[in-house]
Amino acid sequence: MSVTGSARGTLRGRLETAAPARFWQVLEEVSAEGGFSHRFSAEFPEIAERLSGAVDRRTTLKLMGAALLSAGLAGCKPSKGIAPYVDQPEFTVPGKPRFYATSLVLDGYAIGVLGETHEGRPTKLEGNPAHPGSLGGTDAIVQTAVYTLYSADRSRYVRRGGQPATWGAFQAEMAELRDTYVSRGGAGLGVLIGAETSPTLARQLDALQAEMPALAVYRHSATTPRNPAVVPVYRFDRADVIVSLDADFLAEGPGRLAHARQFSDSRRVRREAAKMSRLYALEGVPSLTGVAADVRRKIRPGALDEAVSEIAAALESGAPAGDKFIAWLVADLGAAASRAVFVPPLDASLYVEATALALNQRFGAVGDRVIYIASPEIAGAPLETLVTDAESGRLEQLVILGPDVLHTAPGDLDITGALQRLARVYHHGLHVDRTARLAHWHVPAAHDLESWSDGRAYEGSASILQPLIAPLYGGVTKHQVLAALAGDFTSSAQELVRGTWPSLNDEAWFEALKSGLIEGSAAAATAPPAATSVAPATAVDGATDAVDVVLRPDPYFSDGTHAANLFLAELPRPLTKIVWGNTAEMSPDTAARLGVAQDDVVELSANGRTVVLPVFIHPGMPEGVIAVALGFGREIEGSAPIGVNAFVLARRDGGGVLSEVTVQKLDAKEHVVTTQHHHSMEGRDIVRELPLAAFPPERNEPAQPTLYPEYENPEEAWGMSIDLNACIGCMACVAACQVENNSPVVGREEVARGHEMHWLRVDRYYAGDGDDQRTLFQPVPCMQCEDAPCEVVCPVNATVHTADGINAQVYNRCVGTRYCSQNCPYKVRRFNFFAYQDFAEDNPLSLLMNPDVSVRERGVMEKCTYCVQRTRAAQIEANITDSPITDGSVMTACQQACPSRAITFGNLKDRSSAVAREKGEPHAYALLEELNTKPRTTYLARIRNAPDSEEDDGE
Amino acid sequence: MASDPPRDPPVLSPGATPRSIPAAISAIPLGPKLPRRFWWGFGFFFALTLVFLFSVTWVLVEGIGTLGLDIPAAWAFPIINTVWWIGIGHAGTLISAVLLLLRQRWRNSINRFAEAMTLLAASLAAFHPILHLGRPQYFYWLLPLPVTHMPWPQWRSPLVWDFFAIGTYLIVSLLFWYMGLIPDLAVLRDRAKRRGAQVAYGLLALGWRGSAHHWHRFETAYFLIAALATPLVVSVHSVIALDFTSAIIPGYHSTIFPPYFVAGALYSGFAMVVTIAVPLRAFFGLEAFITLRHIDNAARVMLGAGGVVAFGYVSEAYFAWYSGDEYERYMIWNRAFGDYGWLFWTMLACNVGALQLLWFRSVRRSQWTMFALAMVINIGMWIERYVIVVTSLTRDFLPSAWNTLAPTWTDFGLLAGSLGLFFALMFLFVRLLPALSISEVEELQHELKEAG
Repeated sequence: MSVTGSARGTLRGRLETAAPARFWQVLEEVSAEGGFSHRFSAEFPEIAERLSGAVDRRTTLKLMGAALLSAGLAGCKPSKGIAPYVDQPEFTVPGKPRFYATSLVLDGYAIGVLGETHEGRPTKLEGNPAHPGSLGGTDAIVQTAVYTLYSADRSRYVRRGGQPATWGAFQAEMAELRDTYVSRGGAGLGVLIGAETSPTLARQLDALQAEMPALAVYRHSATTPRNPAVVPVYRFDRADVIVSLDADFLAEGPGRLAHARQFSDSRRVRREAAKMSRLYALEGVPSLTGVAADVRRKIRPGALDEAVSEIAAALESGAPAGDKFIAWLVADLGAAASRAVFVPPLDASLYVEATALALNQRFGAVGDRVIYIASPEIAGAPLETLVTDAESGRLEQLVILGPDVLHTAPGDLDITGALQRLARVYHHGLHVDRTARLAHWHVPAAHDLESWSDGRAYEGSASILQPLIAPLYGGVTKHQVLAALAGDFTSSAQELVRGTWPSLNDEAWFEALKSGLIEGSAAAATAPPAATSVAPATAVDGATDAVDVVLRPDPYFSDGTHAANLFLAELPRPLTKIVWGNTAEMSPDTAARLGVAQDDVVELSANGRTVVLPVFIHPGMPEGVIAVALGFGREIEGSAPIGVNAFVLARRDGGGVLSEVTVQKLDAKEHVVTTQHHHSMEGRDIVRELPLAAFPPERNEPAQPTLYPEYENPEEAWGMSIDLNACIGCMACVAACQVENNSPVVGREEVARGHEMHWLRVDRYYAGDGDDQRTLFQPVPCMQCEDAPCEVVCPVNATVHTADGINAQVYNRCVGTRYCSQNCPYKVRRFNFFAYQDFAEDNPLSLLMNPDVSVRERGVMEKCTYCVQRTRAAQIEANITDSPITDGSVMTACQQACPSRAITFGNLKDRSSAVAREKGEPHAYALLEELNTKPRTTYLARIRNAPDSEEDDGE
Repeated sequence: MASDPPRDPPVLSPGATPRSIPAAISAIPLGPKLPRRFWWGFGFFFALTLVFLFSVTWVLVEGIGTLGLDIPAAWAFPIINTVWWIGIGHAGTLISAVLLLLRQRWRNSINRFAEAMTLLAASLAAFHPILHLGRPQYFYWLLPLPVTHMPWPQWRSPLVWDFFAIGTYLIVSLLFWYMGLIPDLAVLRDRAKRRGAQVAYGLLALGWRGSAHHWHRFETAYFLIAALATPLVVSVHSVIALDFTSAIIPGYHSTIFPPYFVAGALYSGFAMVVTIAVPLRAFFGLEAFITLRHIDNAARVMLGAGGVVAFGYVSEAYFAWYSGDEYERYMIWNRAFGDYGWLFWTMLACNVGALQLLWFRSVRRSQWTMFALAMVINIGMWIERYVIVVTSLTRDFLPSAWNTLAPTWTDFGLLAGSLGLFFALMFLFVRLLPALSISEVEELQHELKEAG
């Protein structure tokens, strides 16, 4: 066919020359117009490859057949329609939850939980009382873990170069990798783990290293960068003087829940036992432990060594120095019977650690209040080694099991450059984060609640993780990834874990699964680390106008591991009540000196790296210090980053304190969203605080006259008592309430408008000032008033009293006048200003809903009901079995979650119940009792055990 | 007021005759054209009405959260608007019913539009609380309807009393207004030239022929409804005040509210009467019927009612102090010096400060000064309700729950839009119905002539 040059340029010409008998869709396709094929291959590269040749008749028929077959594949999807529950699984009763013991692994350590499942879907986690890391308590992270489980932004498929791939392809890749490196003894291959205590992981890594001796294991944990070989385990309940050397033992570290329980147990002041431990705290930046302290001394962060050496010297000489703190401490420890314990922080300097050990030995704490065990953590080379190995070419390919190193690496470490040098990076994680996007391969991880795994508690006890649900998004466990690397492609996740515990026969294995703990697996005490003599570092006294920046992991997001959890994003931070973002926290004096005010935006720069944050005025902060929370700003596919990543400022030598930081005010404003706007009690009798010496106080509450008839209790009379002396303000109760009662997340803008939906809040007030400034926490659920002001004003009877004295809200009746909230003196009612709940059926979060609690629609009021679904279930059970409800068998969600057992709940009609006893204590009081609303929720006053507490300086 | 010194302006211009009165009044609804500025005015308020419709639609579609509301302050603009509008309505009832029973002749030329004002204001007042519900579609659950799926109303709730108070008020106001209109509708029917107008007015006139029987029964019924409406002047706003009084919140929990709200209602109501009367007489040449005497009398009522309101402010502060209750004391301190302190002082300047000008006769008899003062007082009374409703809520018992409130554009859209709707309907009323009562003005003229 001859074609003239001019015709070739035209469409007609090209159509004439095009191959005949092709199927085509647009004219450009037939004419092989450059633009079309270019665009087509850009959009669908895989299809474009196969489109090159003409399709003949046979291929067409084959494709048609394949298309017909794949139409049938749609049937493989889970059925969308409803189906009767024909084959009911054994022991499963629809509508009745089942509880399974498992563990969550947080920062490498296991926290034992009991997972509540409804028809196979976990909806709520409770602490496992048998597990030493929980003792029945939980924290906000554990409570909200179910959100992460269902959250739609989890990674859903294996990716290769960002494109969907399969687990089989990944296994093939691992086999290839193995073939390459086994022969080389593993040289050039590395595995990066986070903080890990899993015995199975340890076994797998050991096996791999046996096979490939040169295999490098790296460990990176931003929250616990140090990994000492020997770690202390405390028993605070045995101590009567606790000295925290700037250690936040109540809120940080793997033993925090046990610590909170032991600590509060040592401080339950009751009529028959009016004694409590005394907590001394050195404190750099405000912490929950500092708030709980009886005697607190603010120190400059970074000057801990000096302060500790001062204390050590004073204790050595026995001469009280000028400072009240030291004088009292010397006096207390001079007493023969004092049982003291010194607690260094997790990231203690060698000097502080050595001094704390020496003091503990001197005061006889070792072996009693503190024992030392071999660290249950798996050791690994630090991230710096990884970077140097990558740069020197010693590391070629890397398997990352978990940590989002691109997010959490200190700013002065070029981790991105290091990873880019590597030939291959394989990433296994829950989310498609920055590290996953940079990696060549990404494998979605199974959530702990979907996994077979194991882990150890802070004191070494091992527990097995069993799945409560099959992986929702095709996740695999890290054991499966390592198994693939070890050439085992067939073992199931369960078999991999089971193989670690050959000592457990089937019976013991099931017992371990059932109880959530492997009996007798706690670590034995070892000798404390050898005493070292280290000189205290002297803090550099910078210029007087210098500002120190303290970087601390966020109490909920931690190092960013939980940064995609919106329940946590919206949970007010314990001390600041900030939600949805991090800030530059500073004291009013510091702000005045820097010339900034709340909501101003500042740029913090250190060593040429900057972060831009809004200012938050936090009265408890020391002068000249700015605190910034880490863990924010994590870039996860499918959700917008929350806050700003402050790891950028961090240095590789750790420590978390940056001196000589320049602060520059920018010409911008950013509203810091908090849920509490006023911090003084205004002299009102809200949180009662009394010195231990004044215990028992005189009860002075004459009954007030009322026009209402006496309230009758035909059934149980539920009541609650909250011990403010035990409450550490950790917010686990609020998170538990939200999960139990299907409370929605409303978003940053809505919280800023005062529309948050937490039924329970923990109020935080400041009292006193200067060094004596104290922070007081008060959980405020519904008071369930017997003469409830809300009930009389509702025009449609939507809020009424139940027979057991609960002030119930009938959502279906509510028309939304909001008069009840107006008339509530405690302002505990929450209103659905918008349709906050997503009722869409395909929303995976609908699986999270507790089926026993109504999901509220737009325009209705809602409130705390003392978990009426739980009390009702108990009453129904009692009616069926015709036996009374035993005291303590019904727990509210907040009570059950509380790690320090601050909340007591039960039947007030039973005079011997725990709650009735608590309410009979001399320091019990009702909030705003002068209003005569007769609250069913009452408080036990906070008690301060400072040596000078004879002089009452309370409000 | 019959004993006013002779230098007082007359209630009816001496030039008015039995022939000129119906002609002048019916010229407005029956006239072929109204001045262009009338339509400009109507157009402006109609545009605001569209804003109102848009805001209402937005609230219904998106949810009540589009308004500036939060916990603790779950009531704000709509409730303030309700209280304000119902207050405005009160002056109409006072003028029509109470002054009728008291045989105050001067009311005759202003009662009709004051009644129309009442009707519109009460409708707007009734609308806002319904819109303000979280689920407005179920507002009828407040009614004691014998339907099995519905809860029975909770009679202890002041909101149920409210519902009935406003409902009664609306019905009685409508009856009273329509009743008074019947003879005038007949006049319009008779004077109308166009067939359509004749039929429309004729239907509405219900066959009124002006016979002595008609007049006899009309007078009896009119007085009976007036007697029925009279207690409403006191009761409606008292019941609304009970929403506040029976609540426990400091700033709400005060027995002074019922009388103080009634006085405030008359105060703002007469301010609104002046706001309408001055342009009406100026633009439609009704100076003969609405004279400076009316303006002066309205000013005197405002002076009296405003005095009671000022006394209310003082006694509220005094009793907060005298109660010894720390929450009450803090509430008063916070009103004056808290987040919304500037509103409190603006309120005092408008409602107490500006009021003092009314002691001067020259001010009372200067119609445009009165108009300006009335506007100031209208604003001041709205702010008063804001101060009561919002500042009390934002700082109640537990400081942890304290929060401020930021109104949204929807709030202002509703407020401005409801004003727009009110005035747009007033314009239509003036255009379509006799704004002044023809029969009563004739009666007044007759009585004046008889009196000599």
